[in-house]
Parts: sequence; C-alpha cells; structure tokens
Amino acid sequence: MDKDKIILSIAIGFVCVILIAIMFTQFKTIDEADIVGITTAREDELTTMLATWKQKQAELQEQLDSTRQRIDEYNEKISSNQAAEELLQDELEQTNMLTGQTDVEGEGIVLTLSDAERSVTYEDLLELINELRGAGAEAISINDQRIINMTEIVDANAILVNQERVVSPYIVKAIGGITYLTSAINQKNIGFVDVRRGSGINVQLEESKNVKISAYSGRRSQLEFRYAKEVEE
Amino acid sequence: MIVVAIVIGCLIGALIGTVMPIIPYTYSGYLAIAIIAALDSVFGAITSSLKKNFDIKIFISGFFVNAILAMLLTYLGERLNIDIHLAAVVVFVGRMFNNLGIIRRYYVEKLTNKKVFKKAEETIKIANEQNNDDK
Repeated sequence: MDKDKIILSIAIGFVCVILIAIMFTQFKTIDEADIVGITTAREDELTTMLATWKQKQAELQEQLDSTRQRIDEYNEKISSNQAAEELLQDELEQTNMLTGQTDVEGEGIVLTLSDAERSVTYEDLLELINELRGAGAEAISINDQRIINMTEIVDANAILVNQERVVSPYIVKAIGGITYLTSAINQKNIGFVDVRRGSGINVQLEESKNVKISAYSGRRSQLEFRYAKEVEE
Repeated sequence: MIVVAIVIGCLIGALIGTVMPIIPYTYSGYLAIAIIAALDSVFGAITSSLKKNFDIKIFISGFFVNAILAMLLTYLGERLNIDIHLAAVVVFVGRMFNNLGIIRRYYVEKLTNKKVFKKAEETIKIANEQNNDDK
C-alpha cells in the first residue's frame, strides 16, 4: 500500500515536471515571439509573404540585370559606332583636303602675275605651280580656281584653269612652309620671280601667315572616274 | 505525500522550463496542443480518482499518447492544409470542462453532505439528551 503510494507520487510528480516544463517553454516562446514583433502574423503567413517578396525580388533583379546588359551593349555599340564615325570623319577630311573639296587656310604666299611688256602664258603658270609643288605646297589656287590633281592649265585663246577662263592679273595662292616656298621661287637671277621679271611680266610676292584658299568649284564631272578602276587584289 | 509530489514536480518543471531553449515559433503550435492534451489527462485523472477508479497506467499512457496523438493530428492538418488542431482543442477543452464539472459537483455535494450530517448529528445529540433527561 505504502509502496503503491510512493510509485503514484513519483509518477504524478514526473508528469507535473513534464507538463510544467513544456508550459513554461511555450510561455517563453510566445513571449519571445511577441518581442520579435510577430504578434499579428503567423509564421506560415510570414513565410508565404517572404517567399512572395523573394520571388518578386528575384524577378526584378533579373529584369534589372537584363536591362543593364542591354544598356552595356548599346553603349558598346555607340562607342564602336563613334569610333568608326571618327575614323571615317578623319579619312573624309583627309580625302577632302587631298581632293580640294574644302576651304583651307594656313601660312603661305600670294603671287600676283600680271601682263606687262608681254602677257603671261600658261607655261608661266604651269612652271610656277610645278615649282610650288616641288617646294611642298599643300594647296594652290589661281584666281580662286583650286588646283587639284585633275586640273589642267591650257591655252585655248585664253588660259583655262579647270575649264574656266582666267585673266590677268593672275593671283596664285599657295599654302605651305613660307621659307620653302619663297626660297624655291626667289633664288637670285635663276629663281622664278627674277627670271619672269626679267622676261617682262610683273611679279609680286607676298608672304602671309593666313592664306585662304577656297574649295574646288569646278565641274563635278571632272572628278568622276570613268576609265580608271581600282585593281582588286 | 501526493500533494508534496505535485508541488515538487511543479517547481522542478518550472525550473527546467525557464532553462530550456526557445523552440522555433513554427513548432509552438504543436507544443500548445500537447499542453492542452496533457491538461485534459490531468483533469481526467483527478475525476477518476474522485470516482475511485483511478489507474496509474491509464493515466500515464493517456498523458503521453494523447499529447503525441494531438501533435500528430496537428501535423497532419498542416500537411492537409486543414486546421485539425482546432478539433483537438475543442475535444480536449470540452472534456476538461466536463471533468471540471464533475469535480465541482463532487466537492459541492461533499460540502452539502457534511452540513446535513452535522445537522443530523446535532439532532441526534439533542434527541439523546432529551431521552437521558426523560430517564
């Protein structure tokens, strides 16, 4: 009887221990949960919300990434385009300069030839231009007719430059190194200036820091290549 | 003896409970339903002891099996997306009220009976004294 009672007491005590322990744990958990601030929402709701937001965030992130990538691509394209454009622009400028398609300016000389005891012939002009080219002239014009590589200077009753009539006084402008240009035509006695002066035409030489030469204004057809073709390698 | 065991058990339990680490909030529902089941068992035990048919084996087994069963049901409900734990709570709390009613009635009756006995005894005493006087 006494033994039974002891066993009963132990059993009941054991049960009490478990029950109260679990209860206190639960109280603490709930208190802690309150402190954390999850009073209104339940765990599963929060989990669902979290999952939803995470998914949304991932989607947005993906979108952002793709947009960024596209922007990068565009930027790259733009920059490459720009580079190509610059290159083309440079090339075009150079070509234009070479073919005399643009107005140019720079240091150089201005020669004025005019009829005096005899008239100026096309040979005078040709020689002058040859001399100037030899001295490194980068742009030359006669009475505002730009001398390009297709330019002819012929005598057909009057002097034709770029198939346009030019008359005295002939103003020859050349851009290039002033020293080179002047020394090439200004040699004592044997230079172009002295020789022509001696042969009876007026020659005036003027040096200028800023000679302006306008673009080729002749016929476009003169610039077209009809027979020459580029050799394909 | 039993009262002492209950008190000591409660104290030790409280101590352990305060030392125990916090369980994740997700599982607190299971613990809550287990507590309800255990409390139901305790009240059931008190009722049966009052009815003089208390069995320690039934009490202990009921205590654990009910708690575990309640937790399993809750888990099942979670998996099925149905609030089975509410049904468990209704059943356990209903039984707890039942048992509490029985306990209350028992003590109230006991108290009333005591008074009746006292009155009866007094009446008997007075009657006896009167008898003695008569003699």
